[in-house]
Amino acid sequence: MALTIISLIKQVPLPAEMRMGEDGLMDRTKAKSIINIDCQFGLEAGLQLKKHYPDARMIVCSMGPFSFETALRTAISMGYDEAYLLSDRKLGGSDTYATGLALSSLIRHLGFTKDSKEPFVVFAGRQTSDGDTAHVPSQVAENLGIPQATFVETVKVDDHGNLVARRIIEGGYQLLQLPMPCVISLTPTGIPPRKPSLTGAIKARNSTINIVSADDVQIDATKVGLSGSPTIVANVVNIESDRPPVVLCEGQNEDELVGRFIANFSKGGNVLNKQEKEEKKAVETPDFPEVDNRNGAKGVLTWAEITNNSIARPSLELLTPARKLADELGADTKITTLLIGKKVEPLAQQLFEYGVDEVVLIEDDRLEEYLVLPFSDIIAQVIRERKPEIALFAATTAGRELAPRIGSKTGSGVTADCTGLEIGIYVNRKEKVINSPILHSRRPTYGESKLATILGFVYPQISTARAGTFEVPARVANRKGILSVFKPTLSDADFKVKILQTVRGEGGLQNLFDADIIVSGGRGATGDNLELVRQLAEALKAKGIKAEWACSRVVVDSGICEYARQIGQTGKTVRPKVYVAIGISGAIQHIAGIKESGKIVAIDHNPKASIFRHADFGIVGEYQDILPELIERVKNGFTFGIEAKSS
Amino acid sequence: MSNAATVSTDVLIIGGGPSGLAVSIRLADILKQMGLNRRILLIEKGNAIGSHILSGAVIKPAVFGELLPDVGLEEIPFNSKITKDSMLLLSAKGCMKLPFHPPHMGNKGNYVASLGDVCRFLATKAEEKGVEIYSGFSVNEIIYSDGKVIGAKTIDTGVDHHGHHLENFQEGTTIEAKLTVFAEGARGSLTKQLINRFDLQQGKNPQIYSLGCKEVWSVPEGAIKPGEVYHTLGYPMNLREFGGGFIYGLTDNKVAVGLVVGLDFQDPTFDVHAAFQVWKTNPFIAKILKDGKLLEYGAKTLPEGGWYSLPKLVTDNALIVGDSAGFLTMPALKGVHLAIHSGMLAAETIAMALSKEDFSEEVLKTYETKVRDSIIYKEMRPVRNFRQGFAGGIIAGAFHFATQILTGGAGFFGRLKAHPDNVTTKKLTEYTAKPFCKRFKDKLDFDKTLTFDKVTDVYFSGATHDEQQIPHLHINNPATYESINIKEYGAPCSYFCPAEVYELHTDKSGHRELRIHAENCVHCKTCDIKEPGDGITWTTPNGGNGPEYKNM
Repeated sequence: MALTIISLIKQVPLPAEMRMGEDGLMDRTKAKSIINIDCQFGLEAGLQLKKHYPDARMIVCSMGPFSFETALRTAISMGYDEAYLLSDRKLGGSDTYATGLALSSLIRHLGFTKDSKEPFVVFAGRQTSDGDTAHVPSQVAENLGIPQATFVETVKVDDHGNLVARRIIEGGYQLLQLPMPCVISLTPTGIPPRKPSLTGAIKARNSTINIVSADDVQIDATKVGLSGSPTIVANVVNIESDRPPVVLCEGQNEDELVGRFIANFSKGGNVLNKQEKEEKKAVETPDFPEVDNRNGAKGVLTWAEITNNSIARPSLELLTPARKLADELGADTKITTLLIGKKVEPLAQQLFEYGVDEVVLIEDDRLEEYLVLPFSDIIAQVIRERKPEIALFAATTAGRELAPRIGSKTGSGVTADCTGLEIGIYVNRKEKVINSPILHSRRPTYGESKLATILGFVYPQISTARAGTFEVPARVANRKGILSVFKPTLSDADFKVKILQTVRGEGGLQNLFDADIIVSGGRGATGDNLELVRQLAEALKAKGIKAEWACSRVVVDSGICEYARQIGQTGKTVRPKVYVAIGISGAIQHIAGIKESGKIVAIDHNPKASIFRHADFGIVGEYQDILPELIERVKNGFTFGIEAKSS
Repeated sequence: MSNAATVSTDVLIIGGGPSGLAVSIRLADILKQMGLNRRILLIEKGNAIGSHILSGAVIKPAVFGELLPDVGLEEIPFNSKITKDSMLLLSAKGCMKLPFHPPHMGNKGNYVASLGDVCRFLATKAEEKGVEIYSGFSVNEIIYSDGKVIGAKTIDTGVDHHGHHLENFQEGTTIEAKLTVFAEGARGSLTKQLINRFDLQQGKNPQIYSLGCKEVWSVPEGAIKPGEVYHTLGYPMNLREFGGGFIYGLTDNKVAVGLVVGLDFQDPTFDVHAAFQVWKTNPFIAKILKDGKLLEYGAKTLPEGGWYSLPKLVTDNALIVGDSAGFLTMPALKGVHLAIHSGMLAAETIAMALSKEDFSEEVLKTYETKVRDSIIYKEMRPVRNFRQGFAGGIIAGAFHFATQILTGGAGFFGRLKAHPDNVTTKKLTEYTAKPFCKRFKDKLDFDKTLTFDKVTDVYFSGATHDEQQIPHLHINNPATYESINIKEYGAPCSYFCPAEVYELHTDKSGHRELRIHAENCVHCKTCDIKEPGDGITWTTPNGGNGPEYKNM
């Protein structure tokens, strides 16, 4: 019984945050491509698994133009043996739904199906830097009909040949036991990808990259490519940075550095000279007939995620855009929310009070904890029965794997991690009609540098909404709604994946949402286990300031502090008046979590750290030198311009 | 070693610069003529061929016709033929055109080029001829058997700062080679080990070096023409400091500017990068760069000891070529053509050795004989005493040079000795002249328009290093570093390093310690050459680390 390890990779342009040069002025690396970072972690996970199965057959697959050969050869130089590239003009313009379909067809073409006698594992990256959807692994798993684990950091093997995956969840992590075959997607926080070896590079040079066409893998051409994709990108605009260039301070020692920083801070920093954009000429809407393609689909459906026996905050936030969309669609459009779990009926009233019109209750003892297989099955069954026109999920680790898996079941396109949702129209110039109403899902992409508008043409239109983007709606006490019960059809196969352990903190430290100043430590501030970071926060608190300390993902991962204090990447978005980032390099996910802050102060020894491109004030130096001095200044009255609460 | 991967080759070439590539091209051609099928493996530590290549560069083109007889000169990606060539004497505000070129410095018929472009071109030719080139791999260990070189090993990856194996650890690949060619460029880290182990510098002058800092700018139309070339003497160097600047007009309204300074300066606070910035403030240069934009920055050392500093070039199973040996004509400041020549001569010797299956020093010595019969000798021998003559300053140097020209290079004193660059640095208390930082006190606030601090410049070199690895720079004797290098010399590396790798940090209490930011390193190796006392050792970091030069 030989195991086969299949890694799916994508070649991407070097991500924006890794490029050098300010304002793209010196974007000399434009042409440079790399294997998507998350996919590199997937490759490494496969190579780690090979340590347990030295005879494993190592296959790497990709889909894209011939130039992707470079990435496949790099994978071989890291330790893979066979490479397949699905390359066909028919596949051009495929969205995530079509890509999932195509890649699963390739895997089937290679002889791997859910009924294969020989075990296999498919590794993938969590998401790509040029798409950021995290959909494809779920969709490949759904199309192959096999279990999955996404947002995984490490994979081990147990005594029975099952895989044990450590999956990130809000508030901590989960250990999942998966049978083979299965799909596992890796986050870039696991074991870092190895460097290619010289022997590997020599092998790669002499290897053949197998080019496979759409016909070879027997894909229905009407379901892939631009025309087969259920979604289109209607519009992409640049996101203008609304933060002026950083003011860095210089000095021979910490005394001077901190002194100059305080002087800079008091002066107020740089001001952004925003150029008033010329008013865009309104594009005239042609006089085409309006077509409503909903075919009876009606209503907005959401899922209420439950953590620690209560409804997760992002699921409540979701009700804000849900209400807005329902209103835009017309007064008789209802919000229906699925409440799935073990003895969860008491939570229904809360949903009504936050604006839900109908709660569909699904109770089963086996559904106490979220699992993608039964939950996606149940929600797809409800969708088939209720035929909503829109289905919304919070873009949590659960929502982001659930939505694409459901989409692959219902044939819907999915838009990931949206920050804006509205109802609009689509002018179809080819068919000379106007599709209306249609959901406009806006999402940041390309490392938060662009905002794309995605339209879906298959109902329900599915989107996930980024946590922290929308406010929780105002609660109306004793608001009434309809409670109905749904009995799903579940099979044993839905429970193939077992949760071995769930470790979850309190899920979010409320103080962080209320703090005026957040002092946050990253990898570069862990030399003393964040002691100085905490001291700075304490010193501010002692001055009567609403201050709190927090940290970046890496710090939580290394076990130094609890998840509740994590900012960014499946952590949280915060909006303090002052955010002090210490030893934080500025990964794009972290930036996304802090960019709403009033002023951002960055302290790091590496002047090239990308945090400085997103900060108002910067001090380049070792935090061990800077912080004691800064703490002393705080004790002497410097409070970052924030006044103490009189209470 | 048991489960480590091993690769076997006939010839291993370490380094993908002009000399290493020339070896590979010439060798492939000769072997083909001889009907011999042999494996030639070339390893380059830069991410790609050319990533770590930096030169002025003014190139004498004739050698390319010899290396690639089937390739027309017009196919080689030189930038521009030199159309105007002037020598300028600078003062702080002034500029005087010398009415003549000092001997050996004329550039008629030469080209300005990006040596990176030229190397990429050569690599394509080499691969067409069957040479296997692997870039992005560092070799950091010479493999010996019975006291003889039998190959080299690539660096272990997946280790932490202390060398502990991480989960993604991979032992390096052992490359067994019948013959190993050291073509690492100036101050090659393995070449240095080889020279020490076999005492190849015995009876020779020590090698001495210059450090060159270079920027490429985009300038407004008309600021300078392609092929317009200026060399400068004087400012900001004083009469005791050896060096000069260059301004090379390139196509697409680009210009390469740089300053090269001999590393035998005595001032422990001399900062070549800062001197380069000060040099740009001379009105003649500032005018050319006005309203321009910095595109790229880099720094590199060049060997300028000349003929008497060449080490013994061979030992059993190994040869040294190019800058690693020190093939450079000092007054002309040109080494590219000599590097290629040396590579070609080495290749001819290697082909003979391969046909005889005899790689002993006796056979390889033919290479040294060939060098002595070649244009390399003809160019280097007459100026054999040139650089040493300047040890006493410009006036003494000019005197020596004049006598050397009259006597065919010997001068009045025969072979002039040289001292390693790290012994010429004086202690803070012994250096009585005005130190560098005081000389240019009012010029060291860089405006980030014309002049740049090191950190900004390094940013424009594209340098990156993996975080997880053993730091590649080593203080040889930490115990004496504080008492001698910091207290007595003031940590000269914090000044001379052109990439802000070394920082002398003083805390509030006045305690000083050296901090090493290895991630900034642009692989110039000045620290290995110039740091006094027990000094600093430069080793190769992970493959693909270091600068990412595009058009240097």
